[in-house]
Amino acid sequence: MSYTIPIGPNHPSLEEPIHAKLYTEGEIIKDAEVFFGYNHRGIEKIAQERNFIQTLVLVERVCGICSHSYPFTYAMAVENISNMEIPKRGQYIRVIIAELERLHSHYLWFGIACHIIGFDSMFMHIWNVREKVMDILEEISGNRVNYAMITIGGARRDIDDEKRKKILKMIEDLSNEHNRIKDIFLTDKTIAMRTKKVGVLSKDDALRLGAVGPHARASGINTDVRKNAPYSSYDDFEFDVPVLSNGDVLARVVVRVLEFQESMKIIKQAVENLPLGAINLGVKMPKVPFGEFTARHEVPRGQLSHYLISDGGQTNYRLSIHVPTFKNAPTIPFMLRGNTIADSGLIIASIDPCFSCTDR
Amino acid sequence: MQKYKKTTINKNQIVDIASNMKKDGRQLVMIHGYVDKEGQNVVSYQYEVKNCIEAYEVVGGKLLPTISHIYDLAAAWPEREFEELIDVKFEGLKIKGRLFMPDTMLEGQG
Repeated sequence: MSYTIPIGPNHPSLEEPIHAKLYTEGEIIKDAEVFFGYNHRGIEKIAQERNFIQTLVLVERVCGICSHSYPFTYAMAVENISNMEIPKRGQYIRVIIAELERLHSHYLWFGIACHIIGFDSMFMHIWNVREKVMDILEEISGNRVNYAMITIGGARRDIDDEKRKKILKMIEDLSNEHNRIKDIFLTDKTIAMRTKKVGVLSKDDALRLGAVGPHARASGINTDVRKNAPYSSYDDFEFDVPVLSNGDVLARVVVRVLEFQESMKIIKQAVENLPLGAINLGVKMPKVPFGEFTARHEVPRGQLSHYLISDGGQTNYRLSIHVPTFKNAPTIPFMLRGNTIADSGLIIASIDPCFSCTDR
Repeated sequence: MQKYKKTTINKNQIVDIASNMKKDGRQLVMIHGYVDKEGQNVVSYQYEVKNCIEAYEVVGGKLLPTISHIYDLAAAWPEREFEELIDVKFEGLKIKGRLFMPDTMLEGQG
C-alpha cells in the first residue's frame, strides 16, 4: 500500500518550520521531498540598506546557534576588500569564540539526537554539560547567543588573564566529561542499534550532491575550510580533521565526537598562546572601496560563504549568504530512501539542520 | 589566506567551465546572483580551487544553460533559488514547485 506522508511545516516535533513529504510503501520510504521558506526573512535584502557596522548586528541574527560565525565571515569579506590586516590577538579571540561555539553546537546536536532515539537521560546529561560552555561564553561576552564579539578590524572585547584561566579550567573539566560521553556513544548498544547502517550516504552521492562539513566527512570526504583555505590564524594551530567512511548516522555522531576533541585542542592552544597587543584596528566606520570577495568559514555544520559586493558607498551593494544546510539538505531524500518512517526524524536531524540559517 | 579571482565569461562558456571543473574534482561552492546598477542580471559561478575562489561571472543573460546535469542538486538548488529571486531562467532545469518563495508569488519579483 502506498502513502504520501506530509511532515510539517508546523509539527509538534519540529523546532523550526520545514515541510517534508515522504512517499512510502508500507513502512519503507521510497522517495522524499523537502521544502523551505516558511520563515524567510529577506536578510540579504535588508543588508543592502545597512552600513557595514549595522550589518554585523543584522547577520548575527541569521542563526541562534552559530551566531558568531555570521559576523565573523562577513567581517572577513569586508576586511579583504579593504585590505585590512587584523591584529593577531584579535584573530585568536575570533578563533576561541568560533571553537567554543562549535563545542556548544555539537553538544546541542548530540542532545537532540539522543532525545530522538529515546535516550532522554543522556540528552539531559549532555545539555547539562553544555551549560559549562554557555556559562563561559556568557562570561566573556555577556550573552548566551549573539555574542557581538566581532567588529570590522578585529574583536570587540578582550579576553583577560582571569578569563583565560577560567576557559582552561572549563576545557579541563569538559575533557573529563567528554571522555565519559564519548565512551557511551562508542559502546552503547541502544545508540548503535538505532544509528548503525541507518540513513547511509555514500561517498559518491555526497560528492555529487555537494555535501559539506561533518556530514561530508562522515561519508569519507576530507574537506574542512580551516585546513583547505586557512584564515584568522587557523594555520597556527595543530589539529586533525576526523574523516570516516561509513556514511551512516553513527558515523555522523562519531565524526562530531572526535571533532569536539579537536576543537578543545584549538581553544587550549589559542588561549595559552594568546599574543599580546591590540585586539582590533580601532576602525569606527570603515570606508570600503569598490570591490567584491567571497569569504568562507567552517561553521559547526559545514562551509559558510558570504559573497559581498561593495560599490564604494556606505552600504552593501549585494550580500549573498550561503549556509551549510542549503548544501546538505539536498542529500536528505537520498538518505531516507529504503529506511523506515520511524527513522525519518533521526535521519533528517543527522545533518544537524538549521532552517533558520537556510531561511535567511 | 583566502583568495578570490573573478573572470567574466559569456553564457556559452558556462557548461564547458563547469565540465572542466568537475573533471578536475573541484567543488562548486555556490552560484550567486544579483541585479547590477544597469538592471542586468549577474550570475556568478564560484568554484573552490585550493585556497582560492574562482568566480566566473555572466552578465546580462535572462536565459542561461543549467549546470545541474554536471553538478546535480549542488547546482540545481541555487539555480532554483535564483529563478525565484531574480528574472532569470535556467534552460533544462527540472523544477517541481517553489523552493523558497510562496507559489502565489509572481515570477521574477522576489
